[in-house]
Amino acid sequence: MGVVVKELSLRLDQCLLRFMDELESLEEKRDSLNSLIEQGWFSISKARYSMGNKQVSALQYGSEMEPGVRVHVSPRHTGETHFHTQRTEHLKLDQSERDSAQVEDIGPKEGVRRRGVTKEGDPKEQPASHAHVSKETSPPSRGTPQQQDPLKWFGILVPQSLKQAQVCFRKVMELAAEVATLQTAVLATRAELQALMAEKHAALKQETLPSQADEQVDRQTDMGHTETRLTEDRTT
Amino acid sequence: MAGRGKLIAVIGDEDTCTGFLLGGVGELNKNRKPNFLVVEKDTSITEIEETFKSFLSRDDIGIILINQFIAEMIRHAIDAHMQSIPAVLEIPSKEHPYDASKDSILRRAKGMFSAEDFR
Repeated sequence: MGVVVKELSLRLDQCLLRFMDELESLEEKRDSLNSLIEQGWFSISKARYSMGNKQVSALQYGSEMEPGVRVHVSPRHTGETHFHTQRTEHLKLDQSERDSAQVEDIGPKEGVRRRGVTKEGDPKEQPASHAHVSKETSPPSRGTPQQQDPLKWFGILVPQSLKQAQVCFRKVMELAAEVATLQTAVLATRAELQALMAEKHAALKQETLPSQADEQVDRQTDMGHTETRLTEDRTT
Repeated sequence: MAGRGKLIAVIGDEDTCTGFLLGGVGELNKNRKPNFLVVEKDTSITEIEETFKSFLSRDDIGIILINQFIAEMIRHAIDAHMQSIPAVLEIPSKEHPYDASKDSILRRAKGMFSAEDFR
């Protein structure tokens, strides 16, 4: 066996081991995803039992929907695609926290507010305080419509089991992204394995062809030798 | 679009859709087109297939979650989808547990060890 074929075989083995590892972790993730979905359904059923049969159904879905989860997709050079979920509510919370932090920062700079005392020689004070008030009273501007918690579609005071179902399905979405990543990894590794296999077959063919040609040449020379011997024998 | 991230679409029975919408995947876009389909007894296979294909053609969808028993109805369409985005994930439903031997991705991976690959 040539060096090229040996190297290819080694790479094939490594690739196959990686493929098996990926399949194993895919199966594990699948199992946990399936059990989480089942937990979610169980919680929905419990909520339905306590709220009434028709209280948790498609009829209660909101008329306006804004996604609370988004998936970030990043293709990699190996052919795999990485999926990662991100809760958009977190982003909005961060934004509102930043807004509130801004208000808190602005407040102390002005110092203690004095009522009824106006400085005659300080014309800049009044417009500044006006600006401050307008900043405080103006509602926070948002580019997107305000997101409503889907729990509120089903009522104001929803049972705890419905909240548990929500938590379960949020976890399911995170797992779904991981499963999707693994699925693409499995397919990419499979394609790599097939390519390596084809490469190895080609290398093997190339190795066997010259040796066959050599054998044929050897046979022909052997035949030539025997023929000359035979003619020599006949002449003698 | 890349900065904002993509959506998760759902094709499933009522409980599956309710669960995922509760989790916050639901979106109604400007044309009031949802990113989910609640499959009921009277939903036709054509409707399911059309919705699935419309999800495939939308560039704002990253993952499509579909109940396996519904995936079985439109298996040819799922098998024909070879791109990695959007990723299609088959999930169990209340009445039908997940069967790995029916999963498109795992069947493709299993095909790795068929006799044709070793020729």
